[in-house]
Amino acid sequence: MIQIALQKNLIAANGDMLLDIDIKIKEGEFVTLYGDSGAGKTSILKMIAGLMPADNGLIKVRDKIWLDTKNNICLKTQQRRIGYVFQEYALFPNMTVKENLLFALEKGQDKQIITELIELIELGELKDRKPEMLSGGQKQRVALARALVRKPEILMLDEPLSALDHAMRSKLQDYILKVHKQLNLTTLLISHEMGEVLKMCDKVLVIEKGRITRYGNPIDVFTSKQVSGKFQFLGEIVEIEKEDIIYIVTVLIGANFVKIVADTSDIKTMKVGDKIVVASKAFNPLLQKIN
Amino acid sequence: MNTLEGEIKSIHTNGSLSLIKIKVKELLFSALVVETPDTASYLKKGNSIKIIFKETEVIIGKGKEHPLSIPNKIVGHISMIEKGEILSKIIVNTLVGELIAIITSEVMNEMVLEVNEEVTIMIKTSEIMLSK
Repeated sequence: MIQIALQKNLIAANGDMLLDIDIKIKEGEFVTLYGDSGAGKTSILKMIAGLMPADNGLIKVRDKIWLDTKNNICLKTQQRRIGYVFQEYALFPNMTVKENLLFALEKGQDKQIITELIELIELGELKDRKPEMLSGGQKQRVALARALVRKPEILMLDEPLSALDHAMRSKLQDYILKVHKQLNLTTLLISHEMGEVLKMCDKVLVIEKGRITRYGNPIDVFTSKQVSGKFQFLGEIVEIEKEDIIYIVTVLIGANFVKIVADTSDIKTMKVGDKIVVASKAFNPLLQKIN
Repeated sequence: MNTLEGEIKSIHTNGSLSLIKIKVKELLFSALVVETPDTASYLKKGNSIKIIFKETEVIIGKGKEHPLSIPNKIVGHISMIEKGEILSKIIVNTLVGELIAIITSEVMNEMVLEVNEEVTIMIKTSEIMLSK
């Protein structure tokens, strides 16, 4: 169990804001921090990493206390077993991929981990290249591998995929899921993308103005009411067209567009850009085997 | 979307399927769902629940008597017809409120449906969704 209780007065764009959270995360869970910019998500990760001091707080990872402001305990960043990947790649430009990974080793640590990570994240062909020779997605793979060199207990990802195009993003998500499972990591991801949250995480924390307003599995958190439809997806409206006496609503679900027929009464409260639940009964969809 | 509020009268579960009877005013609706009281907490006798079905899944029959394999039948009177090129919308005033059906204009013309006419709205059990 990982216990994180943090309080800090933050200076936000529209005045001061008290960040106040208290959560318990199970080991091995994939948790997303979801919320608007300025809600305090990055500050939470920075405090867990020891890169930002908390006014009050307690961080306990298994039996180990990382932070206990009451008893003046505050481990340095290097003493906390974390891996951190940011949106910007932050690789050393003068070093090759392999050298970047070797540089992250702790004193006396077995180099075997580098070989394992190169294999796991499929960096074999890239290992002798310098960062300037890599694409954005490749750089983020290297950054991910580097964050894992010290075998972290908590992997923290601060919008690591937001600068990538859709195909690359999806591939990176697969790599992150793979390392999360294979290395038994507890992973905290900051994301604005609902599709990403649904694909990746077990739990989502919705953070608004420094507070956790909702917590749970993504479908429960993002849908206000439970519908019995078994065929259920979250999507975003991209187009609403009136045709004859009905409306055709185009919805983006993950990387796919679907079209749904709706009545005037459905459309009244909806507009392009709205997040919606698409639900149908398990009785309706047809299955066809692909040869 | 047609939405009605009712109360769960009975739940018949077998494996992962449940047939739920819901009372809306004096009418009893049946809904077949791939849920059980164990998988969906809202499936509890006496709970109030919403039943939801799409306008395009509604079947309309003239008059009252329709011996079909559809248990959900509601008699009402047409209050409005909106004719379109291919599809038409029919609003029916019933005991449980206004219900909307969207059917093809072709069949509507064949049936010669008119405002104030008595009709029966029919919905298959497998087309009804439940919601808290």
